[in-house]
Amino acid sequence: MSYEPGYAGLGGGLGARDLIPSPRHAAAIWRRNARVFSKLWKGALLPTFLDPFFYLLALGFGLGTYIAHGINGIPYKEFVAPGLIASAAMWSSAFETTYNVYFRMNELRLYDNVLSTPIEPADLVAGDLAWSASRATVYGTVVLIVVSAVGLVSSPWAILIPPFVFVGALCISVIGYAFTSLIPKIDLYSYFFTLGITPMFLFSGIFFPFNQLPGWVEVVAWFTPLYHLVEITRGMATGPDPLQILINTAWLAAVTAILFPIPVRAIRARLVP
Amino acid sequence: MTGVEDTGPVVLARELAKSYGERVAVSGIDFQVPAGVCFGFLGPNGAGKTTTMKMIYGLATVGDGELRVLGMDARRERRRIKARIGVVPQETNLDGDLTVRENLIQQANYFGVSPEKAAPRADELLEFALIRDRADERIHALSGGMKRRLLIARALVNDPELIVLDEPTTGLDPQARLAVWRALERLRREGVTLLLTTHYMEEAARLCDSLLIMDEGRIVAEGDPPALIREYAGREALELDLAEECDPGALLESLGERANGHEFHDGALTLFADDAEELLRSLDHERFPTETAMVRRATLEDVFLRLTGRSLREGE
Repeated sequence: MSYEPGYAGLGGGLGARDLIPSPRHAAAIWRRNARVFSKLWKGALLPTFLDPFFYLLALGFGLGTYIAHGINGIPYKEFVAPGLIASAAMWSSAFETTYNVYFRMNELRLYDNVLSTPIEPADLVAGDLAWSASRATVYGTVVLIVVSAVGLVSSPWAILIPPFVFVGALCISVIGYAFTSLIPKIDLYSYFFTLGITPMFLFSGIFFPFNQLPGWVEVVAWFTPLYHLVEITRGMATGPDPLQILINTAWLAAVTAILFPIPVRAIRARLVP
Repeated sequence: MTGVEDTGPVVLARELAKSYGERVAVSGIDFQVPAGVCFGFLGPNGAGKTTTMKMIYGLATVGDGELRVLGMDARRERRRIKARIGVVPQETNLDGDLTVRENLIQQANYFGVSPEKAAPRADELLEFALIRDRADERIHALSGGMKRRLLIARALVNDPELIVLDEPTTGLDPQARLAVWRALERLRREGVTLLLTTHYMEEAARLCDSLLIMDEGRIVAEGDPPALIREYAGREALELDLAEECDPGALLESLGERANGHEFHDGALTLFADDAEELLRSLDHERFPTETAMVRRATLEDVFLRLTGRSLREGE
């Protein structure tokens, strides 16, 4: 048995009926993933606690001491901290919808079994995405607790961050899932991470603001989901502007909805030829 | 087992065909699976058996022609069909991240049954699969035979009216195979319709009430196993290992109508007859010397060989 799935493309057009997930069936997929995570969470969460500490230490307390006046009137540590909530959610979503989904689909062959039960491709993708976003929300919330504990959050609105992390993680997850459902072999993930995730991590406004850079940099960043999630988490942590929060959330939700048919069609073309 | 009586056959295929790009996997087959029987597809690897099964259980789209499962159109009613059938795939795809019991409970969950409601049924199925004492172990701790029995148990969580089994015993040792056969025989006695593919003729002969022989995407013969053997081979076979100076052409000519047919492979001649003992006695041993001669019952293997000129296991 080969573990290289090959390229199957997007297949023929699907009707609207095939693209709308059934919540009950999607929930069964979510529950399976949650059941597995519940066995592993202790080991999986510890690095999530440590990760933001290292970034804060190196950047906030290290590099930050050279940035005497802070950024836009905010101390550098407080500027970086909310971005780390968003980036934790991004890394979690990126790994879950690449390597983890790939492993379930192509090595465990779980989806062959799932799709021969009443679950259809749209339910499978929706359940996996909802799970990926849930997991990312757990990770983002852990970071929120860490940065709040060390006093880097100035606004009480920060307590509302987790549901927004869910929306942002959903958007990053659908991109990862689309990539996984289309790639012919596992090696291509290095492109996904090197050309997609890492630049997004560095250039989405987590570490520096855009106002000193050429205008086009922010325009490019605007097209990435992390930019919008960072805008939301920083707004919430430092004092939110409701209109800004609304616009960024709408961007994330709209892009998720627009991209959702891609993995559904690709999974169908690959597993139900 | 309701809802089958009024809808006719459990599976009905007319001119059913399927290609993957240029490669034709199934090229226009017609068959009907009646309720309550064990119906087998016998054929070598690549004959189109698996593709036919996948179209039935929704893991391949229907190519051309018509396919109805439990009275429903397999093109349009996939979700409803899948809710009422059980599937034992060729490849073991149990959930390695879950325990044995969790695999059954999770499967019930895929069918919309809550974990609380699924628990008693899971225990019943563990009993059925003879792995109750392994319930809390991970999948990789099970032997090949246990995994296969768990796959069968998993296919029963939704109380299916039809169970599709794709090569249920391939790769198992004889003892594990026997345990699987016993499990399937129990199901058949309970009246569940079984549809299975195999390339083991012993399996087809032992389990199947009705059999369909496939080769290169087509159906080459159909009937119950004894009738197929009678029709294509006769009751018995006489295997002759010919001596070097023996001319097989002349030997066959001398037999005339006394043999129902023959197969010749590497100096070994198999003759089919209703009474092979009698055929052996009537041979002119002076003219046609043989190294060894053996009389045995004709089998489905002979039927397949006669129909296709090839052995079932060739290329394995």
